[in-house]
Amino acid sequence: MMFLSRTQVITALGAVLLALFVLDLVRRRRLSEEYSLLWVMATTVIAILGFSTPLLTWITHALGFMGESSTTFAFGLAFSLAMLLYLSLKLSRLGFENHALTRDLALLRHEVESLRRGGREDSPR
Amino acid sequence: MNAPRVLVVVPAHNEEDSLPAILTELREKAPGVDVLVVDDGSRDGTSRAAREAGVPVLRHPVNLGVGGALQTGFQWAVERGYDVAVQLDADGQHDPAYLSVVLAPVLAGRCDVSIGSRFVSSTGYRAPLNRRLGMLLFSGIVRLALGRPISDTTSGFRAYNRAVMRVCQYDFPKDFPDAPLLIALARRGFRLDEVPVVMRERQAGRSFYTLGKQLYYPYKNLLASLMALIRKPA
Repeated sequence: MMFLSRTQVITALGAVLLALFVLDLVRRRRLSEEYSLLWVMATTVIAILGFSTPLLTWITHALGFMGESSTTFAFGLAFSLAMLLYLSLKLSRLGFENHALTRDLALLRHEVESLRRGGREDSPR
Repeated sequence: MNAPRVLVVVPAHNEEDSLPAILTELREKAPGVDVLVVDDGSRDGTSRAAREAGVPVLRHPVNLGVGGALQTGFQWAVERGYDVAVQLDADGQHDPAYLSVVLAPVLAGRCDVSIGSRFVSSTGYRAPLNRRLGMLLFSGIVRLALGRPISDTTSGFRAYNRAVMRVCQYDFPKDFPDAPLLIALARRGFRLDEVPVVMRERQAGRSFYTLGKQLYYPYKNLLASLMALIRKPA
């Protein structure tokens, strides 16, 4: 095994711990499988980069980064941005769905109330 | 053919103070039309005020914004077979006496959406400078998009026919339906028209415009207008 810098060890261990934490969240049904996928993929990549010095060095040279740790953090940052964009998409979609449900709820509540009163005065034609 | 059925949709958010007056006025000045209040997540007695006036009220459990309230109104109108819906503010800015003026072009089939405008002829309305600039900008954009001027893009005193309601009940701007909506409707081939109305000062309640929204609104509206222009009508 090649020599690992302290930064590499910290990043790699951090990634492994995070991956375990994410999987545990799935086990406890706090996180859905769907959302865990991106996290598990990202932490795996970071852990591999952390542990494998040749691969890390190769990528660093290929991309022209100043140092190996920059590569690791660049990957981490790219993942964070991807995750944030993904979450914004999900939030927008939840917003649309929430909007539609709120409108339907208002209509249905009125329907229920008028049925309870036994009134048919404003039923759909 | 039967007489066209008209529904006045009143979106209301915390308007318990002004609502009774406008509902009474509607009954006096426009006795033939049905009225629906959409209580957009109010925290005051807006729904109660509407019920006490004998008007059906749909209540959103949370606040969606004028666009959402109007959309609920359209869903109701389409389900119940109304031919035309008129949007009328709860705060008393829109005089029900002008209802027939706003309705006329749609009822006559001259257009699909009719907008009660403060600027078509001189009606003595003067907005603060920042709003005037914004209105100028967006009426410019709408003019470019439509190939014809709509001077009052922010007017909330409008009549929509059934074809427009059918589309809008599912596809509608979320917060405030102005320039982007007009562009989107024009892109779908709907005909828009403007008629002059006189608007009054709001009787009670607060405007939808807060400081944060004053900064966000131009950005959002500009982007939404652009998207409405380049988006393929579904």
